[in-house]
Amino acid sequence: MTQYHFEGTDKYYLDPELKSIVNIALAMEKPLLLTGEAGTGKTQLALEAAAALGLPVEVLRCKSTIKGEEACYTQDTVLRLNDARFGTGNTERHVENFYDYVIWGPIGRAFRADHKVVLLLDEVDKTESDVQDNLLDILEECQFTIRELNETVKAKIRPAIFITSNAKRELSDPFLRRCFCHHIAFPTPEDMRQIVALHYPKTNPKLLKTALAIFYELRSRGFEKPPATSELLDWIGALEKTGITPDPAMPPLTGALLKRSGDILRHRKDDSHRKGY
Amino acid sequence: MPFASKSQEHTAYNALFVDFMRLLRDYGVPVGLRELLELNSGFEKGIVNNLDDLFIFSRLVFLKRVEHADAFERAFAFYFYAIDIPAVVEGDYELLNTDQFRRWLKKEIRAGRLPNHALWEYSPEELMKRFWDTLRKQMEEHHGGSRWIGTGGNSPFGHSGNAARGTRIQGASKNRSALKVIGDRRYITYSDKNLLREENLRQALETMKHLKNEGPYDRLNLDDTIRTTARNGGEIELVFERDLRDKISVILLIDNGGYSMTPFVEITRLLFSKMHERFEDIATLFFHNTIYERVWKNVQRSRFLSTEQLLLRKQETRLVIIGDAAMAPEELEVRGGAINNYSDFNKPASLYWLQKLSQRFPHTCWINPLPREHWNRIHGAYTLNCIKNIFHMEDMTLGGIKGMVDHLSEK
Repeated sequence: MTQYHFEGTDKYYLDPELKSIVNIALAMEKPLLLTGEAGTGKTQLALEAAAALGLPVEVLRCKSTIKGEEACYTQDTVLRLNDARFGTGNTERHVENFYDYVIWGPIGRAFRADHKVVLLLDEVDKTESDVQDNLLDILEECQFTIRELNETVKAKIRPAIFITSNAKRELSDPFLRRCFCHHIAFPTPEDMRQIVALHYPKTNPKLLKTALAIFYELRSRGFEKPPATSELLDWIGALEKTGITPDPAMPPLTGALLKRSGDILRHRKDDSHRKGY
Repeated sequence: MPFASKSQEHTAYNALFVDFMRLLRDYGVPVGLRELLELNSGFEKGIVNNLDDLFIFSRLVFLKRVEHADAFERAFAFYFYAIDIPAVVEGDYELLNTDQFRRWLKKEIRAGRLPNHALWEYSPEELMKRFWDTLRKQMEEHHGGSRWIGTGGNSPFGHSGNAARGTRIQGASKNRSALKVIGDRRYITYSDKNLLREENLRQALETMKHLKNEGPYDRLNLDDTIRTTARNGGEIELVFERDLRDKISVILLIDNGGYSMTPFVEITRLLFSKMHERFEDIATLFFHNTIYERVWKNVQRSRFLSTEQLLLRKQETRLVIIGDAAMAPEELEVRGGAINNYSDFNKPASLYWLQKLSQRFPHTCWINPLPREHWNRIHGAYTLNCIKNIFHMEDMTLGGIKGMVDHLSEK
């Protein structure tokens, strides 16, 4: 059996602890459930792992309306109905052939692949809990049944499964039990410096230092939506472009960091207090 | 016998980890046989080569919810390093009530490092600082050390680099040591027993989303559309079904009078202001200490709504009352008992209104910002227990909010 071993890529800063976790999950062939605040790079980790391992990715972006089955396959009933009514013409479809009307979902494609794939279930917490229960059996056994034909599709090669969750809803205990779970803590300032360096290798270290200090200070103030990694990256990008070195007393371009109007107003108020207006 | 063919070493693992599993359960981490078997299969694959690998691997296997992460780390430190970390954050005065602190103090006094009356002679801050310093020193001594306490020193695993057997498939470990990671206490704010804070607020809120209900019939059901269309001989007929958006009404009643509630008003309002995103129909009302014939629509308590009117709201309304429920007994039981003279002597006592509310709204929960452990000990325990007999009461912890959601979701 091929051993898959993930070492990170040049665009993604990989915390050594996280690396071990990914590799353990790969070795144990268990789905890896990543939770954590937005902007901690959950989805990115799965995509980077796939890129580093040279494996294709199948992504299921979960929505609250998803039933689970369409993640495996859907039957284009409207087309079949239409064909049954008006004929297939030169399309080489046959109304009596079910498979001519099947559209494979990400799970279906991952299981039917001839090579190892990375299967990413993004934001699984958005789905209803019974959908999660359905998915869990499918993922555990790496197979699903086509209801209409009572035929089973079984994975030839177990895909490497990554699941992300923003904890929108609580996941059920049985679901958690079948996964390796890891909560990604928010990056420490040191980790953050490395993350920024990967995106903006030429940033002036002084600017970076001040920007990070402001960023972590803002985060500690308890805004409704505290700025996360992606906001920081945007902000540093903006600072670089404008060539401003931020002044901690009055950080410029805070619109890149704070998004909620309540937060922005509060920030302005705090600031004017500090300056004694 | 599943393990019959395994070497002597494996039996040692099993015994070792059964005890660790028990300890985890004592610490409140729900683990079972399945996890233990998984741990074993990982050993067979050679995933674990040293204590740091074991930390990461066993955490993946045993730890499923971030609320338990801190407990897991403390259990690991205790079992494998004999370091007993208390379940509180550094700087929290609650430390003074922990066994760990008391044991440490006794030891320090016996060793002559602190005088007999240390508790009187030193400020609590100084003692707390000393405690954490000792703990940190203990952890640093272990960090990089080779002794593995908890197994009597005969560890089956070598430390970094001394892999006894198997090849290291995880590559050279550049991880921070397990103890260093534990020392960070990164997950303490997620602990179930913690009070709500901004960091774990979102998490608590998400559990709110268990409250769900059916909405109007406004979503196209494709399958049924096709079925009826076919039945109609091709004449298209649209079939609609219910959407999953919920239509629950929530009324939030906040005690905003009295100093005891002041520290919690901000966090409470933040908590429920976010519910607007989820619940279309949510109203916030205020009261002082307990509810009489009127409640207020604004924080200043100038615009009022009579409680009679409140009782006319539909029965499925979820009523959430937030208050410490601690007051003088007469405020609750006597006519005109309100301390601010807001209440009329001709109107019934507060207890009457509370019972009315409880009867009208079966889905009611009283959230008490006082920690559950203090409920029987505080000044005002009498009224608190009276109210607790009327309403389902939870404290303002993550666990309490979950309990509230469970209670409010009951059919």
